[in-house]
Amino acid sequence: MRDKRKEKILTEISLLAAKLGREVKLMEVCGSHTQVIWRYGIRGLLPANVKLTTGPGCPVCVTAQEDIDLIVFLARAGIPVASYGDVLRVPGFYGSLEEAKKEGAKVFTIYSVEEAIALKKTLPDLVFFGLGFDTTAPMTAYAIKKGLTVFSTHKLFLPAMEALLEMGEVKIDGFINPGHVSTIIGIAPYKKLKVPQVITGFTEEDVLVGIYMLIKQLAEGRVEVENQYLRSVRPDGNPTARKLIFEVFRIADGLWRGFGKIPGSGLEIKSKFKNQDARHKYKNIFKKFVFKEQRQMKACRCSEIIRGLSRPTTCPLFGRACNPDKPFGPCMVSVEGACNLEYRFQDKS
Amino acid sequence: MKNPTALTINLEDGGGGYKSWLLIRQLRKFLSVKTGWQHQQDDAAVYPLGKNNLVFTTDAFIVDPLFFPGGDIGKIAVCGTINDLAVMGAKPLGLSLSMVIEEGFPRGALFKIMKSIDQMSRVVRVPIVTGDTKVMDKGKLDKIIITTAGIGLAEKIISNDGAQVGDLIITSGDLGEHTVALLSTRFDYKTQIKSDSRPLCQELEAVGKYLKACKDPTRGGLAANIAEIADKSKVKIILEEKNLPFKKETVALSELLGIDIFSFASEGRFIAAIAPQRAGLVIKKLKRFNPQAKIIGRAEKGKGVFLKTGLGGLRSIEMPRGKLIPRIC
Amino acid sequence: MCLAFPGKIISIKGDQAVVDFGGIIKNANVTLAKVQVGDFVIVHAGFAIQKLTDEEAWDAIKFYKQNEG
Repeated sequence: MRDKRKEKILTEISLLAAKLGREVKLMEVCGSHTQVIWRYGIRGLLPANVKLTTGPGCPVCVTAQEDIDLIVFLARAGIPVASYGDVLRVPGFYGSLEEAKKEGAKVFTIYSVEEAIALKKTLPDLVFFGLGFDTTAPMTAYAIKKGLTVFSTHKLFLPAMEALLEMGEVKIDGFINPGHVSTIIGIAPYKKLKVPQVITGFTEEDVLVGIYMLIKQLAEGRVEVENQYLRSVRPDGNPTARKLIFEVFRIADGLWRGFGKIPGSGLEIKSKFKNQDARHKYKNIFKKFVFKEQRQMKACRCSEIIRGLSRPTTCPLFGRACNPDKPFGPCMVSVEGACNLEYRFQDKS
Repeated sequence: MKNPTALTINLEDGGGGYKSWLLIRQLRKFLSVKTGWQHQQDDAAVYPLGKNNLVFTTDAFIVDPLFFPGGDIGKIAVCGTINDLAVMGAKPLGLSLSMVIEEGFPRGALFKIMKSIDQMSRVVRVPIVTGDTKVMDKGKLDKIIITTAGIGLAEKIISNDGAQVGDLIITSGDLGEHTVALLSTRFDYKTQIKSDSRPLCQELEAVGKYLKACKDPTRGGLAANIAEIADKSKVKIILEEKNLPFKKETVALSELLGIDIFSFASEGRFIAAIAPQRAGLVIKKLKRFNPQAKIIGRAEKGKGVFLKTGLGGLRSIEMPRGKLIPRIC
Repeated sequence: MCLAFPGKIISIKGDQAVVDFGGIIKNANVTLAKVQVGDFVIVHAGFAIQKLTDEEAWDAIKFYKQNEG
C-alpha cells in the first residue's frame, strides 16, 4: 500500500473521528479480520475514540463444548474422524481430537473435503466433522452429495450478529462484516440489522478502508450496509453455493459456545440424507454419551470473550495456565481466536 | 482433566519454538561438568587454545521428506553443521557422520544421500573423518536419522550475545525458502522454490569480523533466532516489515497454510547484528552472494522483538509456540 | 477459517482447476463458481467460491476512486 494513500486514509479517519467526538465501538466478527488487525498493529493507528472489539467469528471458538465432546467420544469409540486442522486441539471433557489420536483413535487432518472423500474409499466408516459458517457449509454439502458421512455443527453467521445486538451486553456502533460469508450470502440479508455495517476484505488496506467507511457512516448519521469488498462480494452473493447448502441442509437451532441456543442458526442434515448424518447413523454410540461440562472450563472466559464482553487479558487463566502451548479453551487454540492472537501479538516488554 | 502429555516428551518440545528452548534448558541442568569450555549455549561450544579457539558442534537431522526440491537430508546434514561452525567465526576442520537406518531402507536412497554428503564435503573442502552406522528393526524408526558433529578453529568468536543498542540487524539474503520447499512437497503444492540450503563459509569469511552477533535462522525461523539474539544481548530488536526479503511464493504459502512466516526456516542464510557505520560495507560484500542481503532492523534499549508493520503500526513478534512445523531439519 | 486466498486459474479439467497463488500452485474445485482460464478466484478450503472482478478493482476500490490525487 503506498504510503501516501495510507497516510490519507488515516488522516481522514482522524478527521471524521474528531468530528464524531464521542467514543465508538466497532466490532469485527471474522477471525481473519482479527488476525489482520493484530498483524498490522491497526488498533494502535486509530484515534483514541475509535475502539475495536472482537466478536464470535472464529468457527472453532464458537463450537459448543458438547459438540467437541460428541466427536471426540465418537473417535474414541473407534470411528475414524476427519477434520479441518484448527479444531484438533480444542479440549473437551474427553480430551481433544489430538489427544484421542495420540491414544490410538483414527483422526485425520484435511485441508479440503475432497481429501475426506478420497479417504472414505479406504475407510468406509469415516465421519467428517463439518464445522464452519456459510462459507464452509457448501463444501460439506458437496461432500454429502458425494457420499461422505458428516457430523454437522455448521452454523449460519447472521443470527449470531442479531443475537449480539438483541442481547445488548456490549455497545456495538458498527460491524466490520465478514468478507467471505458475504461472498456466499450477498448484501441484502444484513439489512435487517439496524447498525452501520461495511462488508470488508482482508488486506490491511481493505480493513483500513472498511473502518474509514464505518466512521463516515457514523459521522454522517447514516445506517447502511456498504460493500468495500467489491472484488469478491456481489449483491446476490453466490446463489449456486446457497442452493447447494439448502439442498442438503435445513435450518434448525444452532448450539453456540457462549450464546447457547440461537434459533435459526444451525444447519442440520435433511432426512433425505439421513444415512450420511453421523448423529443419526451412530445413534447407538451417542446413546452412551453423557454431557459433563468440563470442570476446568468454568474458569475459561472464552464464552464472554466471543460475545465481546471481556478482553482476553481479564481472564485469570490468560498467559498463565492458558497459552498457545497449553490452551484451556478454543479461543486460545485457534490461530484466529481472540486469546491466541492477543497472546502472540501483545506487547510484552 | 489431567494433562497426561505433561509426563512425556511431545512434538512441540522439538519444534524449535518456546517449548524446545525450555526443554534444552531443563536438560542442560543435568550436565554438571563444564571445565574449560565456553559458549555452551551458543550454536557451538568453544575451547580456547591460546590465540586460537577450538569450536565444536553437533546436530541431528530428521527432515521429512528426505528428498526435497533443492536438496536432501545428506546435504543439510553437512551444511547445517558447517554453518553452525561458520556462524561462530570458525573455519571447519572435519565432520563426523553417524547414521541410524531403518531395516528395509532402500540402498539406492542411502547411496544417493551419501553422494550428496560427499558433494557438500567437496564444495566446502571439509572431510568426513569418522562415523558410525546402525540398523534398527523395521517399524522402530522412521527411515533414517543422521547426526553430524563438526570441529573448527576460530581466531575470533562471533557469539550471539554481542548485539548492542544502536546496532543494525541484517540478513544475508531472502528468507524462509527451505520451509517453503518442504511444506510445498508435504502438502502437495507445486512451486519453483527450492530449499535455500547451502554453506555460509564464504560469506562469513568475507564479513565475519564485522559481526557482533550471528545466527542462522533454521529451526524456529526468524522469530526464534532474532529472539535469542535479543534475549542474550539484552536489547530490544525492531524489524521493519517492508525491508524483510520474502519472495512472493513464501508469503503466499504462509497465507495459504495459515503458518506464521516468521517461523519459516532458512538453511543457507544468516542474520546478524553489526555496528551502523559498517552496514554499507557489509551489505555491499554480501550482495555479491545474494542480491537480497539487506538491513532489516535495529537494536534499541529494552527487551523483546517487535515488527514495525507496513502500515506503520508496531506489534510484537514472539518466539513460535503452539502449532509448529515438524521435521523441518 | 474465513481463510481464503486469491489465485489465478491456469487450467481447468472437469471439476478441477489448477490455480496459481503467486507462484504456489494447487488444485481447486470449481463447481461452486462460474470461472474460466485466466480468471482470478478466491479459494476457500479447496473450493473456488467466487470469481474476482478485474484487477483494477483490487486497488482498495471506492475510497481511492473518490479521493484520488
